[in-house]
Amino acid sequence: MRKLPFLLFLVPAALFADVVYLQGAGTITGRIVEQNDQTVQVDVGGGIIGVPMSRVERIVKAECPLDVYEARAAKLAPNDVAGWLKLAEWASQNGLPMNAHDAYEKALASAPDNAEARQALGYTKLNGRWLTEDEAYEASGYVKYQGEWMTPAQAQIEQNSAAQDQARKDAEYAAIAAEQRADEAEARAEEAEKEAKKAQEAQQYAYPGYGYYGGYAYGVTTWPVGTGPNLGAGSRPSGGGRK
Amino acid sequence: MNRVFSLAAATLFAATLAVPAAPPKAPPTTPSVDAIVADYVAARGGLAKIRAIKTLRQTGRIFEGQGREALVVREVKPPGRIRVQFTIQGVTAVFASNGTTGWKVSPFEDDMALKDLPDEVTHEAIEQADIEGPLVDWKAKGHTVEFVGNETVSGRAAYKLKVTLNSGTVRYSYIDVASHFEVRADSTRQVKGRDLQIETTFTDHKKTGGVLFPRRIEIGAEGRPQRARVVVDKVEVNPTLSDALFERPAPSQR
Repeated sequence: MRKLPFLLFLVPAALFADVVYLQGAGTITGRIVEQNDQTVQVDVGGGIIGVPMSRVERIVKAECPLDVYEARAAKLAPNDVAGWLKLAEWASQNGLPMNAHDAYEKALASAPDNAEARQALGYTKLNGRWLTEDEAYEASGYVKYQGEWMTPAQAQIEQNSAAQDQARKDAEYAAIAAEQRADEAEARAEEAEKEAKKAQEAQQYAYPGYGYYGGYAYGVTTWPVGTGPNLGAGSRPSGGGRK
Repeated sequence: MNRVFSLAAATLFAATLAVPAAPPKAPPTTPSVDAIVADYVAARGGLAKIRAIKTLRQTGRIFEGQGREALVVREVKPPGRIRVQFTIQGVTAVFASNGTTGWKVSPFEDDMALKDLPDEVTHEAIEQADIEGPLVDWKAKGHTVEFVGNETVSGRAAYKLKVTLNSGTVRYSYIDVASHFEVRADSTRQVKGRDLQIETTFTDHKKTGGVLFPRRIEIGAEGRPQRARVVVDKVEVNPTLSDALFERPAPSQR
């Protein structure tokens, strides 16, 4: 009985999540499922992320939104549409899009035509039918080019631009190859000249100076690189091997 | 369609015959750039209130469709200091600049190491750290602003201004004729090595600290239907932000 207060203190702490602070900045919050000298595996509620220990600054226990989400979800009846919608919005506001997705799916299971859940999951109503985002873009005449939906005209522009880029790259590679060949020829010529000189010297002919070699034809040496930080398709955690 | 066109042409032709030539009607006068900008500054809350903002924190969410969303915290402390934090499913990435150099820790990418931001990204970040925006006191900042036309944004009349930053970067700013709010901005951004026209619209303006901030921002690229929607849940004016937040963290010893 005397141990009770101590246990009461321990039990909630054990339920707390783990916050893995990365060196410099950034965190991974979830539940550690495995940890060794090399990596720490963290379940973030939508998958497991492996973090190299060499990148970890410290790990602390703290209550996190995932704890709250799971506690609230456990109390909801499967057919409580309003409850799941409310929890989904809460999850979204607290940085848990995968849990929000799950909660919206739960709402849809009981109310397949629920507009709030459908829209939150990316559906669009077209001619009385709910279409996924991809289906809606396709139905609206957009085409997918290199993983992105765009107008056919834009796809044509991108395609032409990519072809021009490729042509420039090919020209650059060709220039580099030509340069390499010129280098090799130059080396061979140098060698031949040395041999000839030796032969000349051997024959005691007086023949002054070294020959000039033509300048190199430089290709394009720099390429535009770099994109700004954006969510893009990489909005799902992928670092360190998401499972 | 042709019938309508013919009828219109005939009517116009008849009108030119019937009505004696009148002096051409003067087009509606467009205010000068200075007047457009002055109205915009006043609508935002006035120069004094804008200038009173020394630091800024905006917290919100960004939605990119198909369940792709993130919590975003954007902290700004001029000159040039900006820090943006994204949290997705318990994973938080940080991108920051101290006004000179930029760095990031992005667990969304393969390597979770502290890394330098490319120069062009840092440059863009620094430009975004101007809390006032480039139109405020643009002459003193060395920018140029030109009126380039009247446009319609979301069904409302807007003045289109060409803003050439002192760095040479060109942006277009659309000022609503009635409200004087900035309702759209166009810029060029390099994505996958190519220039892409980015269109950003601003709606749901509300004041914090006496200064107007848009609470809904939509970002799209030309020729693409996808839109990134930013919902700003909270704006904090003059929060305490230490300079250290923006500095590249020193590598710790483990």
